[in-house]
Amino acid sequence: MTFLQQTMLWGLFAVSIPVIIHLLNRRRFRTVEWGAMQFLLKATRESRGKKRLKHILILLMRSLAIAALIFAIARPLVGGFLGWGGGSVETVILILDRSSSMERSEKDIQLSKRTSVLERVTEAMAELGEARLVLIDSATGIAQEVPSPDVLPELSFTAPTDSAADIPGMLVSALDYIQEAKPGRSEIWVASDLQREDWALDDSRWDAFRANLDELDFNVKLRVLALNGRERNDFAIRVLSSRREAGEFVLDLELAREQDTGPTTKAVTISHLGARSATQVSFNGQSQRFQKRIPLEGAPGAGHGWVSIPDNANSRNNVSYYAYGKEAPVHAYLVTENATSSDALEALTKGLAPGFANQEVTVRQPSQAHQINFDSASLIVWKAPLPKPPVSNQLFEFVEKGGVTLFFPPEEDSDASFGGISWDPITQSPPDKFFIVDDWDHADGAFRDALGGAPLPLERIRAIKRRGLVGDFISLARWDDEEPLLARRVIGQGQVLFLSTLPDYTWSNFERTALHLVLLQRSFDDGNRRLGAGFFGVAGEDSAIPQGDEIRDRVDSYAEGDAGNVAYEAGVYRFGERTVAVNRPVGEDSIEMLTTAQLDAALLDTDYSLLEDKSSSSESFFSEAWRAFLIAMLLFLIIEALLCLQPKRVDTSTAPSPEPTS
Amino acid sequence: MGRAGIRSHLRSIRTPTPTPTRPLPFILPPPVKYDFLDSAVLSRLGALPIEARLAMIGNVAGKHRSPHRGSSVEFAEYRKYVPGDDTRRLDWKAYARSDRHYIKEFEADTNLRAYFVVDCSGSMKYASGEHDQKIQFARKFAATMAYLLVDQGDSAGLSCCDESIHLELPPSRRPAHLQNFFDVLSTLEPKGETGLVDALHTVAEKVGQRALIFIISDLFCDPQSFGDALQHLRYRKHDVAVFHLMDPQEINFDFTRPYRFVDLEDNTTIVAEPNLIAEEYDQAIREFLATVETKCHDVHADYHLVTSDKDYEEVLRDFLTTRLPKKGAR
Repeated sequence: MTFLQQTMLWGLFAVSIPVIIHLLNRRRFRTVEWGAMQFLLKATRESRGKKRLKHILILLMRSLAIAALIFAIARPLVGGFLGWGGGSVETVILILDRSSSMERSEKDIQLSKRTSVLERVTEAMAELGEARLVLIDSATGIAQEVPSPDVLPELSFTAPTDSAADIPGMLVSALDYIQEAKPGRSEIWVASDLQREDWALDDSRWDAFRANLDELDFNVKLRVLALNGRERNDFAIRVLSSRREAGEFVLDLELAREQDTGPTTKAVTISHLGARSATQVSFNGQSQRFQKRIPLEGAPGAGHGWVSIPDNANSRNNVSYYAYGKEAPVHAYLVTENATSSDALEALTKGLAPGFANQEVTVRQPSQAHQINFDSASLIVWKAPLPKPPVSNQLFEFVEKGGVTLFFPPEEDSDASFGGISWDPITQSPPDKFFIVDDWDHADGAFRDALGGAPLPLERIRAIKRRGLVGDFISLARWDDEEPLLARRVIGQGQVLFLSTLPDYTWSNFERTALHLVLLQRSFDDGNRRLGAGFFGVAGEDSAIPQGDEIRDRVDSYAEGDAGNVAYEAGVYRFGERTVAVNRPVGEDSIEMLTTAQLDAALLDTDYSLLEDKSSSSESFFSEAWRAFLIAMLLFLIIEALLCLQPKRVDTSTAPSPEPTS
Repeated sequence: MGRAGIRSHLRSIRTPTPTPTRPLPFILPPPVKYDFLDSAVLSRLGALPIEARLAMIGNVAGKHRSPHRGSSVEFAEYRKYVPGDDTRRLDWKAYARSDRHYIKEFEADTNLRAYFVVDCSGSMKYASGEHDQKIQFARKFAATMAYLLVDQGDSAGLSCCDESIHLELPPSRRPAHLQNFFDVLSTLEPKGETGLVDALHTVAEKVGQRALIFIISDLFCDPQSFGDALQHLRYRKHDVAVFHLMDPQEINFDFTRPYRFVDLEDNTTIVAEPNLIAEEYDQAIREFLATVETKCHDVHADYHLVTSDKDYEEVLRDFLTTRLPKKGAR
């Protein structure tokens, strides 16, 4: 609780007045010679216990009445956010999460969480009087003093953005500011929707923050305003990937909602190069992935556009932008040894270039691997003993930059390894038995379920030969004896994949199931994204910032940008010659919220106070509560009076009245 | 109407209150030297006789009924003549009617012995506000009663007790005895603990013949033992009147602030907050008063709870009035 007249709290010492008076009265007794001592002794013996308790209660009521009066005079402010233990604050450091998820509103006509928190901070600062306000917003992360809290909602530093929020980073910035500026008695107010992605609980900066907070010379109170209400169902749309494909531009889209409320349809608007089209998407479950194909005939150049859904709880996640470059063939390299069977070679070659116009495959011998143009390659399929330096170094660099390399088991044994993974010798299945696939990752990897949600028929794969793997990897698909069928190791921005059998009838029936085609094409897509990555950026990150002399220019038609926050807003931008579709971070669509236990763990031993505001109402953080204290004082006085009242002496016994008879 | 009827009638017309003042009898010693005697009160109360409720055995003729037959004017009974009876007492008219010899007997009127047992323990010194000390009230009461008794020809004795009987005056009906009586009363100084119960037992044993025993005390003793002492007195056929003297504050306990109470009898000290114990004190005092009154009623003793703020003349008048025999009684 905070008090506007905190000095009046010194008056709390007056609470002891009734006790002091009582003690003085006890000491300042008069002496009287008394005859009826036997009754006095008896009465004194019998009056202990209940009477003493009553007397203590009377004293307590008097003290509480005085305390309530003092509290009322001190003008207390109540409200869960400021809570008990508050006092005069010299500086308030407001850590404002203005990520896109803070633009939620729980009712149609209600303010967004960010706006409501700004209004309430303004009111709170007015109540706190002369306290300074320092703002650290999630977009810039810079501490800057706000000259007047009244203008807080008008500042560009408090405007909505599409960027993420780095809460631990902002807390560390706040501490840095406190250590540098030494602003006196300070409080850090964190206004956030507790989106787990923003809080990055695994970040090592939490330890640093806790340690630094503990080492501060003066008391800094940490308060968290958790705007974690999620009453309305929110829909979000996102462009997962985009690519040219046989004269069409393919958009992989994801429509997601927070709560699965049964089948529904959603109108999706696509604006491609200014031409809008709308379509109804049937929607069931929590998320729905679907494709939109846009004919590109006669338009070989670059382009951009956006996909949107109608406005709902959060207006910032109703649109996703895309951009692409000029048409160019995508290239894969197949490095194969001489011992590769013609069937296997044909299966791999056809799998890499099944007839799509823009896909090319070049076959190379391992000895010619150094001739590979790694810059233009999307995918490298390595069906040969694992490479050795210098080729392995080139390949490693290719993967680090986002390339994808798919290793197939060689016929010949080799002791070479790549990325710490090496092949085991070939193993044969027992006679009349096969290696069969037991389980695989349905959500991730090359064998993930189709966009419509249908799983791939991996259970139909039978193998009689395979190679085991040694090293540090993740199994995306496993045989029934837990050995990996498909293993993955992420290196830098790219990945290496190891398939433990071959699409060759002497190894497995992969070719019959055509699953090798899925594997190769999806790997191709992953590798191809490296080349297309230059057209996508994330708001607030380096990819959305102009390089060198590039000038930013917004080219999409979805919305007018805020000039002050253009660096943190999603949209299609032209940076000089480049066109970049800047979208909100993936984490901003996450519905995973921080639990109280996780918050406790993150702010362990910091004695923080938490106000959970699930409704995002615009009510003030606190209100003056002196009336309540005056009422409390009256109540205490009434109770004291009732306790002081002597009970009516009703003679229920046979004892006669002590009235003298004469 | 016989002589007894005339006396009864006269008595009935002598009782109206207030009694008109009459000149003091010739036997009165000068009362002005004693602050517990008021000649106006004495003259006003002088018209009221002091009656015993039980037959008394005195040594001289007096105004009180005796258990024996005597020579008063009040007829008692006839009895058969037996040889040796005084023939002068034969009722010749009865002989003429019945041809039998009857002796006509009359009631004997005798004098009354009154004993005043005055409690002089330390607690009798207590006085609140402007009120008299209880001992002063006792002095006024005993002195006035003694005066009236002697005035009507009865004898009055005095026993003063604190922890034991320390002053004793045997009963006497001589006017000069009153001087000693008053002197003893004036020298009474309350002190020590209460030895009332022992004193009553002693009086019960000492006083051989029937007497009227006035107990003037605050009775701050064990009520059970006090009841036993009353039984003892009653067993000895004494007429007992108890004047229970209490200070108003001892009953009401109207203290408003913490006090250190020092016992007047044994100097025991206790610091108490009256607010806290008033209820329990009230309960205790009520129980005590009820017990004492019950004990008195058990032995048919007169019980009078008297607070020291009362006018002693009024208390005495009420006492004397209630003791008057009813019209036609005796």
